[in-house]
Amino acid sequence: MAVFFGQMQWGWDFEGDETVNLETLKRTVAEGLDEARTAETADAVEAVRIKYLGRKGLMPQVMKELKTVAPEERAEVGRLANTFKKELTELLETRKKELSGDAKAIAEPVTFDYTLPGRGPRRGTRHPISTVIEEAVAIFGRMGFTVAEGPDVETPYHNFDALNTPGYHPSLDRQDTFWLDDGRLLRTQTSPVQIRVMESRQPPVRIVTPGRCYRRDTTDATHSANFHQIEGLYVDRDVSLADLKGTLAYFAHEMMGPDVAVRFRPHFFPFTEPSVECDFSCHVCNGAGCRVCKGSGWIEIAGAGMVDPRVFEKVGYDPETTTGYAFGMGIERIAMIRYGIPDIRLLYENDMRFLRQFG
Amino acid sequence: MKLPLSWLREYVDVDASAEEIAERLTFSGTEVEGIEHVGAGCEDVIVGEVRAWEKHPKADRLRLCRVFDGEGELPVVCGADNFDVGDKVALAPVGATLPGGMAIKEAKLRGEISQGMLCAEDELGLSADHAGIMILPADAAVGTPMLDVIGGIETVLELEVTWNRPDCLCVIGMAREVAALYGVALKVPEPTFEEKGKSVDEWTRVDVQDAFDCPRYTARVLTEAKLKPSPVWMRRRLTCCGVRPINNVVDITNYVMLECGHPLHAFDSALLKESRIIVRRAAEGERMATLDDEERALTPEMIVIADAERPVAVAGIMGGAGSEINDTTQTVLLESATFDPARTHRTSVALGLSTESSHRFERTVNRETVEWASRRAAALMTEHCGATVAAGVIDVYGGAAELAPITCRLARLESLLGVSLGRDEVLGILEKLQIPVANADDDIITVAPPGFRPDLKIEADIFEEIARIHGIDEVPAADPMGRVVVDADDARPRAVAACREHLVGLGLSETMNYSFLSEQALDRFGKDADGRRVALLDPVSADHGVMRESLIPQMAESLGRNATHQELDAACFEIGRVFYREQGAICEEERLSIGLMGRQAGLDDTSPEGMFLRIKGLLEELLRVQNAPALELQPDAHPAFEPGWCTAILLGGERVGILGLLTAPIRHHWRIQSPVAMAELRLDTILSQVHDVQSFTDIPVYPSMDRDLALIVDESVCHGDVVRVIESGAPGGLTRVDLFDIFRSEEMGDGRKSMAYSLTYRSAERTLTDEETNRVHAEIMDRLRRELEAEIRER
Ligand SMILES: [Zn+2]
Repeated sequence: MAVFFGQMQWGWDFEGDETVNLETLKRTVAEGLDEARTAETADAVEAVRIKYLGRKGLMPQVMKELKTVAPEERAEVGRLANTFKKELTELLETRKKELSGDAKAIAEPVTFDYTLPGRGPRRGTRHPISTVIEEAVAIFGRMGFTVAEGPDVETPYHNFDALNTPGYHPSLDRQDTFWLDDGRLLRTQTSPVQIRVMESRQPPVRIVTPGRCYRRDTTDATHSANFHQIEGLYVDRDVSLADLKGTLAYFAHEMMGPDVAVRFRPHFFPFTEPSVECDFSCHVCNGAGCRVCKGSGWIEIAGAGMVDPRVFEKVGYDPETTTGYAFGMGIERIAMIRYGIPDIRLLYENDMRFLRQFG
Repeated sequence: MKLPLSWLREYVDVDASAEEIAERLTFSGTEVEGIEHVGAGCEDVIVGEVRAWEKHPKADRLRLCRVFDGEGELPVVCGADNFDVGDKVALAPVGATLPGGMAIKEAKLRGEISQGMLCAEDELGLSADHAGIMILPADAAVGTPMLDVIGGIETVLELEVTWNRPDCLCVIGMAREVAALYGVALKVPEPTFEEKGKSVDEWTRVDVQDAFDCPRYTARVLTEAKLKPSPVWMRRRLTCCGVRPINNVVDITNYVMLECGHPLHAFDSALLKESRIIVRRAAEGERMATLDDEERALTPEMIVIADAERPVAVAGIMGGAGSEINDTTQTVLLESATFDPARTHRTSVALGLSTESSHRFERTVNRETVEWASRRAAALMTEHCGATVAAGVIDVYGGAAELAPITCRLARLESLLGVSLGRDEVLGILEKLQIPVANADDDIITVAPPGFRPDLKIEADIFEEIARIHGIDEVPAADPMGRVVVDADDARPRAVAACREHLVGLGLSETMNYSFLSEQALDRFGKDADGRRVALLDPVSADHGVMRESLIPQMAESLGRNATHQELDAACFEIGRVFYREQGAICEEERLSIGLMGRQAGLDDTSPEGMFLRIKGLLEELLRVQNAPALELQPDAHPAFEPGWCTAILLGGERVGILGLLTAPIRHHWRIQSPVAMAELRLDTILSQVHDVQSFTDIPVYPSMDRDLALIVDESVCHGDVVRVIESGAPGGLTRVDLFDIFRSEEMGDGRKSMAYSLTYRSAERTLTDEETNRVHAEIMDRLRRELEAEIRER
């Protein structure tokens, strides 16, 4: 029994055992019409004709096999086959004309104004702060840092005491910190997240902690009562200041440009010892001195250092076997320097004329 | 802290320029924030002498002066009144230029000619003082440059001294740093003076009630002090350091404090009851007037210096008005002491009183050199006040602070810095810093921290000293190293990042607002009926007084502010935390808000319905790409939302947010004319499944059957009802239900509408027949007739 439905990519399978029936014919019809519509050359149109209507084509075969079709379907199969032959013949004619250029299938472009505005959906814009955060996370991510999160409302213990802050450090003053009536406060840095992570697991720890922080500053062009930081912490064995410098140097040229270098100046932070401030060479003037770097060629970006052993003691790590570094930087500051934004308040005004400038 | 270079150079022989010293200090841990040249620009100012003055006939506050400039008398109009005939003053004659760039020209002030200006110190950039014009010493030569009289241009370094280095809060401390950096000697003067008359014990008595509060108290008595202004050079140094000169006795206490870091206090001994000193806690309810003429309420938490009857100073912070040095003072009781740093700090905060003195005491003052400071001040007072020092000193001293020896391992130093320093270099650095080495083995060095370095407690403290003097920037940058912490996971932040990306892809712009706002701004969106709001105890301003409990008010404000400057189209989102009180506890939660105003690309329908459906569509698409449960809305009510246009957002049956149109009064607050759609939901409810992997389902092989139907129903029937009825009990073959038209006509009658749907049937196993499709379709139509009283027209 000749069967033509088990179509395979490279030919016809006559070995199958399907019989001609209404369902299989419908499929053949759909396929035939589709092939005719999509034929791209005159030769292809002819091939379709031969395949379906030719002397040894499928339709003559169907007519030949008609007697084997189930009696209740026989009339319908016959009708469908005839309609199809007529439709396909017409379609192939039209297609042939189209391909030979007889028919004006597409509107002629001579009068179309291609300078009309394009249509369709438009992407929104990302906020510079989250762009910088996510790029920083990605850069540190390439070095194996994962993101850790923590609450904005913190205990004084996590925000100050566990970070080796003296009990009467000026930053504990009411005037610099927002306090809540339950004795907690709005974190002044994201370092408490580092404490929480160290409290919850053993080394190695390799995290970055982007997040919102709060200081009781009067808002002006460079100060904002809430702002964002990203801090990093790597705790393991045999971690050195040289590793910290290499890590920050990599971040500097990934974030600000390939020619950007870093330098360390000694500083003091209760959390780290030795502590450094890390300057990036100015990406605008390449260190020659300009308005952005106030003529110095360097821009102060990060605070960093080797984690103070007393911090390890607080979280229950062995300060003899554990070493690590920590660093932190202000997101707004990086965003302002990177994009040349002159006033921090622009970042919180949500003016569309501002937001639209960023991708 | 300000450091005049000429003063520094008295203690250390360094020729280097100010810029060079600044660079070295900055790279050894004391950042130099600026270099000032005080007096620069005053070259044109000369010494003048006031020969006569009278009131300006037309202005009470002005004086018409005749000022002698060495050659002739000039008419000068002046607004100050702190001078008299014969005073030597700073005169800027016509043609002079002042430091601010102001050029002096002949002028007419209310009709009177003025040929110069009498300058105040702030106008000359010498200090911030603008209390009156500058009065120069009586022996200044008229007509000579004013700078010659005051000692020329002084170069002043502006230093940022870090919290851990109280020893650097003085000229000698900085000289010690510079000496270490340049490898030269530190020269500290040895004060010398003669003691005379009866012993100090006969003058006074000192009782210290608690040695922890006051580890050391010394008292000296000086008699026959003659009160007058201190010498010009001393006043100049004080003003360069930002300290206002008062009189010679007080100036000397301040001078010694700036020089060696020990705050001193001078009492008028005659004003001390029974001439005695008691260091004690204040009594409950005790009060005193401090030197700034403020009446202070004291508590037993505060240390005071008292005489036999009353407190005469808040210890380490400020003296009392009742015992201060005054014009009639002859006998001075000179206090040099130390006080508990923590308590001094707490008292300073409690009183809201921060002084040069408290600034130093709260950071720890070296008790070993307290007595030196006292001698230094006594020596200066004999020299400049003509005072006589009574014999001896009262010194209540429990002994030096115990600073434990510190063991430093060189191998550990190398591994921590990532660079190897030789033993000799390490020992050399310690010597330069005047940190005594008690013992030095090959690999282990034990040091004994000196009294002026109370910050040196552990090995890392010493490592820091070595690193900063060696040059911390000399540490090489090791190649960055990757390190995977296998069990670390940051799925949630990645999910938030994905969500943000999806929102931007949907055409929304990200906004960011402060975490706090005003009570009033929140009230506009509904009062705080159940006490959920969290207020800041001590906000900077009422505008930022309350933590946000919702992102909607600020989203509305952001849209509104844009509308006010003609940005009428905005589609925004914000991801941020909100804060609220629940059962007494303060909670925080991350939320997503979306706000739409005006048109978006390809979306022009700004009718209420258009806006509502647009924000709904956005949310549906967001939920789809987040793999979150499908969106369900339920009628809701909220004071900020238009009645009838307010719905609760439900995901998986749980109420997670709100969606709707803002009320007209809220919109009109910012003069927004068109409808504003707003949604807010808990972010975590749409995060958890974003990383889920989709599993493939077969693409349908068999053709589908489409059937349309139009039903006329009552207005109260919703699309949701129709879909529910269609889907209830439908066979698996129904794969799509699309609403493609709604219309109303007179013919149908009031309160009726026609809704046209296209239904798609398909089987995964076979081609559906017309017959079976029609049968199922007919069943659906029956159900619609039955359950919704629909009138149906089949297409
Ligand atoms: Zn530059």
